[in-house]
Parts: sequence; structure tokens; C-alpha cells
Amino acid sequence: MNLREVVHVVGVLLVAVAGTMVPCVPFAVHEGLVLPWLGAIAATAIAGGLAWTLTGRVKSINQREGVAIVGLGWVAVVLAGSLPFILTGVAPSIAAAVFESMSGFTTTGATVFSVIEVLPASILLWRSITHWLGGMGIIVLGVAILPLVGLGGAQLFRAEVPGITADRLAPRIATTARLLWGVYAGLTLALVLLYLALGMSPFDAVNHAMSALATGGFSTRTASLGAFSPAIQWVTVLFMFMAGINFTLHYRMLRGRWNAWFRDTEWRWYAASSVIVAAIIFVAVGAQQGAWTPDTLRRAVFNTVAVHSTTGFATADFALWPSVAQVLLIGLMFVGAMGGSTGGGLKMVRAAVVAQHTRGEIRKMLHPRAMIVTRLGRTAVRSDVVLNVLAFLGMYVATHAAGTVALAALGSDFITAMSAALAAMSSIGPGLGAVGPAAHYGHLGDPALVVLTVLMLLGRLEFYTILVLFLPGAWARAGGER
Amino acid sequence: MRVIVVGAGEVGYHVADRLAKEQHDVVVVDLAPERLDYVQSHIDVAVIEGSGASPAVLRKAGIREAGLLLAVTSVDEINLVSCMSVPSRSGLIKVARVSNPDFYAERATLQPSAFAVDLLINPERELALDAFRLLQVVAASDVAVFADGAVQVVGLMVTDGAPIAGRSLAEVSAAEQGRQLLTVAVERDGATIVPTGATVIEAGDHIYAIAAAAEIPRALELTGHHYEKVQRVMLGGGSVEMFYLASLLQQHEVGAIAIVENRERAQELAEKLDRTLVLNGNVTDVELLELEGVGGMDAFVALTDYDEANIIASLVAKHAGAKQVITLVNKSDYVPLARRIGLDAAVSPRLSAAGAILRYVRRGSVRRVATLQNNDAEVMLLTVTTNSPLLGRPLAERHIPEGAIVGAILRGTGVLVPTGRDALRVGDEVIVFALPEAVDPVTRLFPP
Repeated sequence: MNLREVVHVVGVLLVAVAGTMVPCVPFAVHEGLVLPWLGAIAATAIAGGLAWTLTGRVKSINQREGVAIVGLGWVAVVLAGSLPFILTGVAPSIAAAVFESMSGFTTTGATVFSVIEVLPASILLWRSITHWLGGMGIIVLGVAILPLVGLGGAQLFRAEVPGITADRLAPRIATTARLLWGVYAGLTLALVLLYLALGMSPFDAVNHAMSALATGGFSTRTASLGAFSPAIQWVTVLFMFMAGINFTLHYRMLRGRWNAWFRDTEWRWYAASSVIVAAIIFVAVGAQQGAWTPDTLRRAVFNTVAVHSTTGFATADFALWPSVAQVLLIGLMFVGAMGGSTGGGLKMVRAAVVAQHTRGEIRKMLHPRAMIVTRLGRTAVRSDVVLNVLAFLGMYVATHAAGTVALAALGSDFITAMSAALAAMSSIGPGLGAVGPAAHYGHLGDPALVVLTVLMLLGRLEFYTILVLFLPGAWARAGGER
Repeated sequence: MRVIVVGAGEVGYHVADRLAKEQHDVVVVDLAPERLDYVQSHIDVAVIEGSGASPAVLRKAGIREAGLLLAVTSVDEINLVSCMSVPSRSGLIKVARVSNPDFYAERATLQPSAFAVDLLINPERELALDAFRLLQVVAASDVAVFADGAVQVVGLMVTDGAPIAGRSLAEVSAAEQGRQLLTVAVERDGATIVPTGATVIEAGDHIYAIAAAAEIPRALELTGHHYEKVQRVMLGGGSVEMFYLASLLQQHEVGAIAIVENRERAQELAEKLDRTLVLNGNVTDVELLELEGVGGMDAFVALTDYDEANIIASLVAKHAGAKQVITLVNKSDYVPLARRIGLDAAVSPRLSAAGAILRYVRRGSVRRVATLQNNDAEVMLLTVTTNSPLLGRPLAERHIPEGAIVGAILRGTGVLVPTGRDALRVGDEVIVFALPEAVDPVTRLFPP
């Protein structure tokens, strides 16, 4: 591992993040928060600039450095992102500030604030910006626009994009990253315009559009999307659903392959599970309330898609819904959105691979000599990919169990601990129990927030990228180099 | 017509043999002198030693006068180069044997015209198609279809106690009057005869019947079989032929289980065939066959690369109760043997390839030919023109060559299985069953 290269690239990233704080400054003028903001920008830019310039020029990076850049880069960016929360004094503690920043960049959307409306506008905007940057990925953005290209962008790209494959839309990885970010930005702009047309204020429209496309969950209102009209909620459903889809499919569709979504096996699983769960929840919630109204339908669909896409907006307190609805939502939290989307979770494609593989193993009881091939649609999945997915599932379950135990040990009840750990890992936001949609995370205490912060990072970077940094060999210098 | 056959392998030898028997001048080109010696001592053809891809060798073989070039070595590229090295001209048909799907598949980027070839033949795929046709009629040893399947020729074994056994064909046709059904050949003790009304059918005879598609179930009943749609098939072996057959079965929604001995090949096939259950095991492993329910299968098709394994596996499957057993045999000597030891039907790649080639190269009034896998006879589809000497009078009053029989008349959209009282009309298409020596005289009765 060449630490010099890693520090160099992380420095570049920090300077870029400092730049993304600038749009918040005009809003800070009326709030008397210009100095804290300038302080945050200066600290980030200076730290990044020093790291960038003092390490000189670097040639290329290999797999090891790529993983380290993504892992350490995320930590550095999240810490820098917590500076505005600390310096403006809105966060009750440093742990809370880092939690809020991590929740933003990982597009989780869990918040430590009980009342959102009292927060300064500059802070609200910064929360949405962290979502938007983290959604398609800060590293992918870096590969797309910063001079990281000559440095083996493919290593970085693969380490950050979720799912089992990172499809290339173009032969060059930088072009691929640019296309993905282009689609992402275009869809965000489209949602801003739709929101404006439906009567949202420009500030709310920009914040919610960035949050929705990133499958984030931060809102400018305590009541989340529940504070807006039914039409706005339906439009949000559509865009949350789209944000949970592999963005390469959107790109193909925009290029005229109108059936790109429908031909994709993972998409069919994603759409089918959305429809089935929403229908069951509609029936169950209607039965609980004694009436199946359009309102019931909207709430069922909205919250199902919000959880499935791992956005975490809420228009109802589903912690009060019948237990069948809660259990189904927990299931969706676990599975999450599609690979290559901005969503989190295990990912639909992995769930599909595990399901198909299990089906094959059962079939093998009947035909002991059968050559079982795990398939997604008609395509065979290579067996090393299947093994990787099974290992991932194991890590997911084990990490979730460890997180649940840690939170329980720190004083949470079972439902709260279990759902909070899951909601953090899968980047959902609201859980059940004391962290339900109507509640917040501020009351859990700093130690629990630290646990959740770690879970969010592990879930967003899909474990391997972070855990590999703890392997003894990871930091050894590559033999023969320099 | 002069015919040049490049490649004296199984396919080349068999096609050369058929064409020579039909009085064509055949020249066989091959690199191996000992193979050429064998060819020359068995069939009446000329041989030239050399590469079929060499223009000089082809000139020496008389390509200038040739009407047909058949490049049928086992190497695709040699066959294609051979065809490409001969300038195209009218009156010369060029046929190349290719096995690589990139060259021949329907949507392949490389079309026959790109190689200056008139026809690309894939023996493995032709065999799979033949086997697939056999599977359509459980119990049949041969199936040939005409007019998009409206008329079929089927080979059937007469079982003990079959309704037809012990009766003369005149009796049978009186009882089955009005049915479009006719027995055109009887094979008994290894010899094939074209029967008359007085011929008495015995159990153990192998008969060839021509019938409208709707009468196929009746033909099966008369010979003591049942008509059923094939739903479950077991395939033994991981050959290329097996891959093509499994693909065909998948296309037609027929469930298939395949047993492949080589583990890597099994894995490869399992990945390619998404609706076929591929098992890793030996086709002659009786325990495995029984575990996988070979007895309950509608059909078992043995398709390994080894004749002996295919025959053993087929016997096991037949013994266990598989309704229909089809066996791939490469060695021509085994084809007649297969049925004698109780197997339903044998298929061989060279016969399938030869059949496909012969189907194509017949010209003039002969529209189409089906060669039967298990019999030397041919079934020809001919058009009646104004020049035909058969016109006008009922068939009974016209001289039909010995060893041939008019099996069916396609008139307009209808199918007619004729009696002696029917007469031919201009524009009719007739299906004639002919033993090898009768092919030429029959062709002369239908001038263009």
C-alpha cells in the first residue's frame, strides 16, 4: 500500500467537498452563520489542499490503494461534512454531528433532530447536498470530474458502486461515471420542475428532489412528505421507485431502449416485490382502520416504496400499523433496492441469487447428480459470484446481529435495536419502536449513535471495502515497489 | 451429372455411394490414400488424392464439367475454402458441411452467400432434427414429413397381437376404407418389398405407412401402438447432437433430463440449456437411470460419442420401460442391427447429412426427397406435368416401375391416398416410395 497516493487522492476529494459547501453560504447570511460556514469550508479546503500538494504527483493506483482511497475517503469526507453541524452549534454533540453527516452521505436519512423546521436553512440545504453527493457516490463523482482518471478509476468505481457487477456504459470508466451522474442530475432536475409545477416552494423542491433521487430521506419538515399534497406524494413515489433502479437501465431507456427496465430480471423482482407488499399492506391497514380509502392506498404505496427503495421518507407512522405490515417492511429493509441504484440494503440482485441458489439446492435433494446452475432470468451466474453473494449475506446477517446486540447493550429495547441497526445498514432512516417514522435518533445517546454511524458506513460501502482495511496485510507495502 | 465429393469420411462415403447408385459420375477427393483405396474398392467412383481446398486438385477432378460440388470433410474451414476456390457459375451447386454455428445459424452474421456456397449442411443439427421428428411419433423408427406435415411416412414395428397382424393388405384396406392410410413397404428378414394386396402382414414385420397427419394415430393402433404426445424425454450423453436436440425440445416446451459423463461438459451444458436438467453421470449407470425414472419416460435418446455406450444405455432404458428409444450410431453396420436387438430407431449423423444433401440436390420434377434412416428406400415428392406418361388413365392401368408405389397425391389443399382407380392430373404433387433401383425409372416418369 502506498499511503502517499491514498492521502493525495483523499486530499483532492476534500477540496471538492469544500466547494460543495459554498452554495449554503448565501442562506447563512440572514442567519448570522457566515463565520461558522466559512470556518468549515476553510478547514476542509486547507486540510485537503495540504494533503493534495504535499504528496506531490502520483502515477497510478492499484486494487489496494483503490480500496483504501474509497474507505478512508469516505471517513474523511463524512468528518468534514460534520463541521457545519458542529461549528453552527445545531448539533448537541460531536457524535451527533458525525452521525448526521454520515446519515447524509450514506443516504440513510436518520436524524438526531426532533423538530426539523427550527433548523437554519443553510443546514437544511447542506443535509440535502450530502444526500445528493453520497447517492451516486462521491468517488464516482470524483472519477467523473476530477483528475483521478489517470489513476485507475476502475478500481475506485468498483469499490463504491453497490451490487454484484459494475456495468460499464462506455469503454472508458470516466465516461461511464459521467453518464451515470448525467442521468442522475437530469432526473433530479426533472423532479425539481415537477415539484415546482405542483406548487412546492423552490427551496423545498430542491431539497426534496435531491433527497428523493439519492434515496436519502432527509426532509425540510418534521412530518416529511406528509406535509405536502397527495399529488406531490404520488410524484415522489415514482421518483423514489426510479432511484431504487439500476441507473444503467435508465441510461439505456433514455437511449431509446424503451423496454430496458422490463427486460431486466432484477427489475422484475424489484417491481413485483413492491406491488405485492404494497397490496398486502393496503389490505391489512385498511382492515385495521375499517376502510379502504384512496388515502389508505397512497399511504400503503408511499411507505412501501419509501422503504423498498431505502429512501425513508414517511407519510404515516408505520410503527403503529398491523404487525404483518411491519414484518413485511422489515423484510424490504433487509433486501433493499437494486444493485447500481442509489439505494442500499442487501440488494435485490443478491436476494434473487440467494433465492435461486437455494431453489437449486432443494432440487438437488431430488436429483443428487444434477448440475445446478444459478440463473438470473436466463443468464447463468458464475459460481464464484454465487459464493461471493452468500458470503455477503453472511456478513450482512452477522453485522446486523452484532449491531443489534450492541444497541441492546446500550439500553434499547429489542424492536428498536433490531430495526435501528437494520435501518442504518440498509440506509433507510426510520425504523420501528423508539426510532419509528414519528420519532428520531437524538435520544439514543452518543455511544449508540457511534455504533449506528459505523453500521451506516459498512452498509453503504458493502462491507468488503471497509473490512479489508482491517486485514493485517492491507497496509503492507507492495513488494518490490519503490 | 458429374459430382465432386471432397472428403471421404462417413458423410462423403455415404453420399458418394447414393449418388453413384443413381448413375451419377462421382469423383471423390481426399488426402488419405488408404481411405481412397477403401472407397474405390467398395463403390463405383473415381478417386483423386489431394487437398480439396486446392484449385489444381479440383480442376484435375473435373470441376469445369461438374454440376455439384460437395465439400464434406470434418473441417469447416477446408469445406468453405474448397467452395470459395471454385468460381460460381450457373449449373454448379456448391454444398459445404459446417458444424460451427457461427457459420450456419439462421441469424448468423455469415450467410452462405458470403462464402459463395449454395447450401450449408450441419450434420449434427440434421441429426437432431431427424431425432426430433422421430420423437413426434412415439414408436416410429422413421418419420418423414411432406407438405408441412400434412402427409407423413412412418416406419413401424408390427407387435404381437396387433390388429393388422395375420391379415392381407387387401383385407386391411377394405376394413379401413375411406381412411387416408396406405402401407407402402414391408421389411421382413432384412429385405424390403413393396407389397401388393395379397401380402400378409406378420407380427415382427417392419412396415412403412404413408398417411395424412390425422391418420397417424390409427396407423399406430393398427400396428399395436398408442399415440401419445411426448412430454418427458431423457437424453444420454453430452455430444453436440444432444445440445441441438435439447435446444429443439426446449423450444417446443418438452421437459428433458440429460445425463452427461464429463463434469466440465455437464457444467457447460447446464449453463447453456436453461430449461433442461443436466445430471453428471454415466449413461450406462443402471442405478442412476432408474433413480431418475427412465422407465417413466416417453422417450430415451442415447447421444454419446460412443456407439457401444449408446446401445447399452438404450437397452437398459428399453428394458426399464421407456416407451421409445432412439440410438445414435456412427458406424453404419450398426444401423440395421439396432432394430434387430429391440431398439426402436437408430439415427446416424452421416445418414442425416446425406439425407439433407440429397434433399437439396434433386432437381427437375423432383421437388423433395426424404431418405429413411433405417432403410435404403427414398420417399420422393414429384410434380405431374403435361409431359408425364402417367396422365389420363387410372393408375392401375399404367406401368409403375417394380419397387415403387404412389403413396399419396397432394391436389389443391387436399391429401388423397390413391387406389388403382385414381388417375393423376396436371399440377398434382405425388409422393412416391421407391427402393434404390427404382429411383431412376420413377424420376423418368415425371419429366419436367
